[in-house]
Amino acid sequence: MDAESILRGVQPLMGEVVPIRSVQETRPLEEYAEAYVAEVNVKTASKVIKALDSKFPRDSSHPQSHLRRFAKHNQIPESLRPTLLKQGYLPSQTIFVLVPPPLPAPEALQALLAPFAPPPREPPTTPQPTEPSSTTTSAPAPADTTPAASKITLHTITVPMQPPLTPPQAELWSSKMWPVVFNPAAPRALIAPPPQILSRVRDSINPKAGHYLALAQIVAAEAEQSGLGRGVGAVVVDPELEPEATDIDPQTEAAEGGSTWTDAIVAVAGDGRYSRREGGNPAQAELVGGGGGGGPNPNCGVYNADCEGGPELHALMRVVELISSKRREDQPGSRRQQIRPVLYGLEDYFLKKSDVAAKVEADDGGVGPRIRSRAQGGYLCNDLDVYFSHEPCICCCMGLLLSRFRAVIFPRRGRMVSGGLASEPVVKPVPVETEGGESTEASEDKEDDSEKTREYYGLHWRKELNWRALGFEFVAENDSTGESCAEKGVPFHA
Amino acid sequence: MADRMDSRHAYFMKQALFMGEKALETGETPVGCVLVYNDEIVSSGMNDTNKSMNGTRHAEFIAIEEMLDKYPRSHLRSTDLYVTVEPCVMCASALRQYQIRAVYFGCGNDRFGGTGSILSLHSDLSIDPPYPVHGGIFREEAIMLLRRFYIQENENAPKPRPKKHRELKTSFEAGVSGN
Repeated sequence: MDAESILRGVQPLMGEVVPIRSVQETRPLEEYAEAYVAEVNVKTASKVIKALDSKFPRDSSHPQSHLRRFAKHNQIPESLRPTLLKQGYLPSQTIFVLVPPPLPAPEALQALLAPFAPPPREPPTTPQPTEPSSTTTSAPAPADTTPAASKITLHTITVPMQPPLTPPQAELWSSKMWPVVFNPAAPRALIAPPPQILSRVRDSINPKAGHYLALAQIVAAEAEQSGLGRGVGAVVVDPELEPEATDIDPQTEAAEGGSTWTDAIVAVAGDGRYSRREGGNPAQAELVGGGGGGGPNPNCGVYNADCEGGPELHALMRVVELISSKRREDQPGSRRQQIRPVLYGLEDYFLKKSDVAAKVEADDGGVGPRIRSRAQGGYLCNDLDVYFSHEPCICCCMGLLLSRFRAVIFPRRGRMVSGGLASEPVVKPVPVETEGGESTEASEDKEDDSEKTREYYGLHWRKELNWRALGFEFVAENDSTGESCAEKGVPFHA
Repeated sequence: MADRMDSRHAYFMKQALFMGEKALETGETPVGCVLVYNDEIVSSGMNDTNKSMNGTRHAEFIAIEEMLDKYPRSHLRSTDLYVTVEPCVMCASALRQYQIRAVYFGCGNDRFGGTGSILSLHSDLSIDPPYPVHGGIFREEAIMLLRRFYIQENENAPKPRPKKHRELKTSFEAGVSGN
């Protein structure tokens, strides 16, 4: 069947696209540290801040703006009240200042804060017995000053070092540890994509994701049937080439047998791990498949590393190479093309389409070629989206980040034990769970008990890495029926 | 490692550094490597991402491709990699998939490192056996190569950052990554 009729016959997967949470969201880093609290004269609060900030400058690489610097009496968590409020001052007289880590020497801090100590209480009560408490450091009262007024007591408490991720978390910390501020924008900047960008991209890819993923599966089937690779496919889309959303409705359009839904596709590639000759020996496809084309390669049924080719023959690496060959404007028969040949009909179809469209669009002064060359400003896989039939292996996940893809999408049913994108086990539907965070925690606890079957890298978005992409999983309408899931099949690197 | 570094490791890493030097000369990120099979260098590689317009063409991939020209991939199981910089996450996974015998590197890679700095793909749970990693061989030489590269502007990036006022740093802090 020729490419055009294959494309006209594509039946989109039905379902929807959901963002893959970052590992910082699924396994939030909860870090706590000790901080000092001191009771000071409420009228001197602004001077206290000035004195602290000039003596102990804040480290801007560890912002602690989520921790309130002062707590009024009524903001002190219940558990700290017996310790902090025992001096018996009125809320109109004193306020509590927080000194977060790195902690200065207690003596230096006490000396600095001494001028801001609350005035002695009137009438003076019986002298406070000095309690040998491990959490309280009393200043040695110098004999030549007014002892009661200069005495600063430092209380040691525990505070959260990371900003809260949710309002409930902020409330919890405020009620148990120290008053905390929730800022919806700031804390997420590093640990997850900005919500507005994530939802805008999700909404824009959702309508056609089912089509692209269905095509990725067709490409995968072509690779598997050829005997040259495993059944894994990748489809690369340039969002800039998408027709305006109002122009066509992909559902209707596909139903009418058209293929304009393919307009934004710039390249596709299937897996080719059995196609390469190594050390002058025949390729796996030639050894066992009689030259290819004779149906699935028998190696597909097992995982034998020696027969797996290598990651550069995986669908992602192959599609990246096809795109870079256009950027480089390789001539037919070039050395790179001999090393990494085009293997499948659909790959060839889209590459040729790129050539033709380039001429047409350039003539009418349009947007330019579908895959811009280096000379035309094309760069790696900048701002492209990639759709997979399976969850790519961690090597390919990093490869797509290094290639600067904008977004990566794969079907949940295509999860692999060797995959690099998922950040948590699939959460089975829990009856009537209103609090999303709680149901996740429950499932994670269960996972810890059972034997670990895979790593959850969530590599698409990790704050430690220089490059990040938006990651999405496609949840099919009938996924909950639990039929055929690649994660339970033969393990291999997709 | 540095104290007990035998001349064999030193020799192979010198060859990897030589490849890094070559990469620098051609405007590529100066990372070089060699693959050693039966005590012999069977292939070498240097980064090729700029020239190829392919962000996955790291030194390790180039060297493996060259080796597979002459040997079947099963030979990688008895092959060691010497690379000037800790393999990135992508290469660390690829080396695991190829079941490399051991990896020796110069300096750590706290941006992308996949064998201990950011992730530990050489030892994490996987369907392939783990491999041992030894860092810190000619670490300072590897870092100097990178510094000489990064004070330049990246003419390949769509929007190069101006770096006119940068100066080449030549000092080293003791005990940072790579040891």
